[in-house]
Amino acid sequence: MAELTANQLHAVAHDDHGHLSEEEQNDNLKLGVWLYLASEIVIFSIMIVGYILLRINEPDVVAHAHEELGVGLVTANTFVLLASSYFMVMGLRAMQQGNRAGMLRWIGATALGGTVFLIGQYIEYSELAHLGIVLGYSESQWSTLGMRFYAPTFFHGAHVFVGVVWALEVLRRGAKGRYDHNPIGIEMFGLYWHFVDVVWIMLFTLIYLV
Amino acid sequence: MATIAVPLGAEIESHEAEAVQRPALSEYLRWSVDHKIIGVQYGVASFLFFIIGGAMAMLIRLELWTPDLDVMVSGAAYNSLFTMHGTVMIFLFIIPMWAAFGNFVVPLQLGAKDMAFPWLNAFAFWLIPPAAIVVLLGYFVTPAEAGWTSYPPLSTLFSGDGQTLWALGAHLLGISSIMGSINFIVTIFNMRPPQMTIWRMPLLCWAVLATSIIAVMATPFLAGALTLLLLDRVAGTTFFDAAGGGDVLLWQNIFWFYSHPAVYIMVLPGMGVLSEVLSVHSRKPVFGYRMVGLSSMGIAFVGFTVWAHHMFTSLQPELRIPFMITTMIIAVPTGIKMFSWLGTIWGGKIRFTSAMLFALGFMSMFVIGGITGVMLAALPFDIHVHDTYFVVSHFHFVLFGGSVFAIYAALYHWFPKVTGRMMNERLGRIHFAFTYFGFLFTFFPMHIVGMLGMPRRVAVYDEAFANWNQLISFSAFVLGFSTFIVIYNIIRSYYRGPVAGANPWRALTLEWATTSPPPVTNFTDDPIPFEDPYGYGTEASAAYLDAVEAAFDGNENRTILD
Ligand code: HEM
Ligand SMILES: [Cu+2]
Repeated sequence: MAELTANQLHAVAHDDHGHLSEEEQNDNLKLGVWLYLASEIVIFSIMIVGYILLRINEPDVVAHAHEELGVGLVTANTFVLLASSYFMVMGLRAMQQGNRAGMLRWIGATALGGTVFLIGQYIEYSELAHLGIVLGYSESQWSTLGMRFYAPTFFHGAHVFVGVVWALEVLRRGAKGRYDHNPIGIEMFGLYWHFVDVVWIMLFTLIYLV
Repeated sequence: MATIAVPLGAEIESHEAEAVQRPALSEYLRWSVDHKIIGVQYGVASFLFFIIGGAMAMLIRLELWTPDLDVMVSGAAYNSLFTMHGTVMIFLFIIPMWAAFGNFVVPLQLGAKDMAFPWLNAFAFWLIPPAAIVVLLGYFVTPAEAGWTSYPPLSTLFSGDGQTLWALGAHLLGISSIMGSINFIVTIFNMRPPQMTIWRMPLLCWAVLATSIIAVMATPFLAGALTLLLLDRVAGTTFFDAAGGGDVLLWQNIFWFYSHPAVYIMVLPGMGVLSEVLSVHSRKPVFGYRMVGLSSMGIAFVGFTVWAHHMFTSLQPELRIPFMITTMIIAVPTGIKMFSWLGTIWGGKIRFTSAMLFALGFMSMFVIGGITGVMLAALPFDIHVHDTYFVVSHFHFVLFGGSVFAIYAALYHWFPKVTGRMMNERLGRIHFAFTYFGFLFTFFPMHIVGMLGMPRRVAVYDEAFANWNQLISFSAFVLGFSTFIVIYNIIRSYYRGPVAGANPWRALTLEWATTSPPPVTNFTDDPIPFEDPYGYGTEASAAYLDAVEAAFDGNENRTILD
């Protein structure tokens, strides 16, 4: 077994103070976010499976709902969310090119997109409530639909809300120049935001289209 | 001639190794991001919960001393007692206790300076006290009565606010466990110094890696199920209520999809501990090192395919046989470990230290729990003993005879590293004798009363089982008493134990290649691991161990500063 000198090891693994190098730190953070998202998928999938079971067991309820309810608003909402994901990518790219002002603009647009989505969801919820589709059990024709619809979509909406707050935090730090040399914070937010987007596309397809 | 790699930190430190500074006790009560402090925080907190859960077990056994209802005021009170006992033992004792050893030992064994996310690490720990308060508070309102498994409709239609608190607390504990596990995975993948290749990693690290993968993938199922349960309880939904278009089996499916993998969360780290302790204390390399590491991964994956063996009596009949088969398959990687341990100590120079005794205790008890597990996997037999004391016996053999014995082995093994002082071996042996026989006579007879038909979760039982239950209760009190011996030993040794030095067991893994307790940065520099973490019995390993000793323990008058 070869003997290494202290200096060799230093160069490989750590900076002079025994702290992690920036690159190592970034790798850690990214892997951490991926693992976190993996665990989130599981929670969503439970709620999605709950919905799929309803779809299989009571196709009439769902078909009936599709007939009565339009998908106009929610389609528009979906496009807003998709667009915000694009803004996100542009924001990260701007920062990587050293363009702080551009980054702030794009991430600002991302936060705005998320906010619009939430407003849209709020409008949709109040319309549905009007039709008698509620979360709790009720003696209406929608009795079994409500909870299976609201649980995943609200849980998703909560994630969008967290994402908007996170985007604002990215803006605050970004404005101070925190990401000028190391945009990892934006990248992590980006992973999260894309995840929220992908989950929405699944929910949208599953609940509104098929 | 082979050059002997000496931990680099050693050379620098050799001249100042006379006195080692221990962290002040007050540091353990504060927010700290040092993985060693956090490890001890986890350990002490979980041990407190062990005592609480143990006291509840004593009450359970007191109630069961006679066939009548005499200690508890009602059957309902008894229900909440065993519900709390199970919940505290599993969510507040075993699972966080492994985070204790994982935290303290894994970064050291890897040769890392800390965990990947020190702040997250502290945060995960500090979620536990509030969660515990929430869960325990539930006991004082209208307590949960549905057992630790919380099946609806018991947990939805027939339980009080305590059940809501139970679910909230379990939720927080799940989140804490997920955060802790993400931290372990990233640490093990990314924080190893270049010399610590994956196939040089000590088996405890392999086990913690497998455990953490399970925790990250399985615990969210619990989180999802608990969310739906909470909605049913507070928001009027009917996810688990058939009368409202829900499905009671949904809970059982999701819960066990978490909880079967969770039994491996509770025992895999113990299996890792066993490989360490058996190898060090019998001076032999681990038999089949790679297979043992891989079998941890195998268990992690197959563990996700067996959940419905908990539902043999509620499942669609045509699904029973497939689950019977997968359950029997998972015995294979477990068997690999068993034979590896036997092969490891075979022909070794066994030293019957307390750690070794508990490791051997684990082997004898776990093999019984494993065999009764395969018996329970056999459908016709399970139908017969389902929900009887046979099941209670089975899971205590794996949880107590397995996990708790491994925790004790780990305690005696790493206490010198944590505190810089040795534990008292004689007290350790007495502790072992009381635990071993107390355990055996508490839980072995439960097989018999179970097969005779005594149901679990009842406060009142048939006269015919009275004698057996007195034997069981008496032994349970002996077992309960044994805990005081180890508590006394811990406290006494912390202040008076002989100074341990860096490497009292002459072990090859890296946590021993630094002072006891290690400095804040663990190593003064990146240490170089010995080429084989279990390569005992070779000249090279002896030379390495001598070098470690010379570097750290050259001075005869070692002292510990508080
Ligand atoms: C002194 C040691 C212990 C004794 C005497 C003891 C005794 C018991 C008894 C008699 C029951 C059955 C109650 C009933 O069904 O009526 C029980 C249940 C249980 N015990 Fe223990 N136990 C001990 C330690 C542990 C440990 C260390 C663990 C886990 C790490 C544990 C986990 C459980 C669980 C999960 C249940 C099931 C609770 C339920 O039915 O929901 N026990 N215990
Ligand atoms: Cu199981």
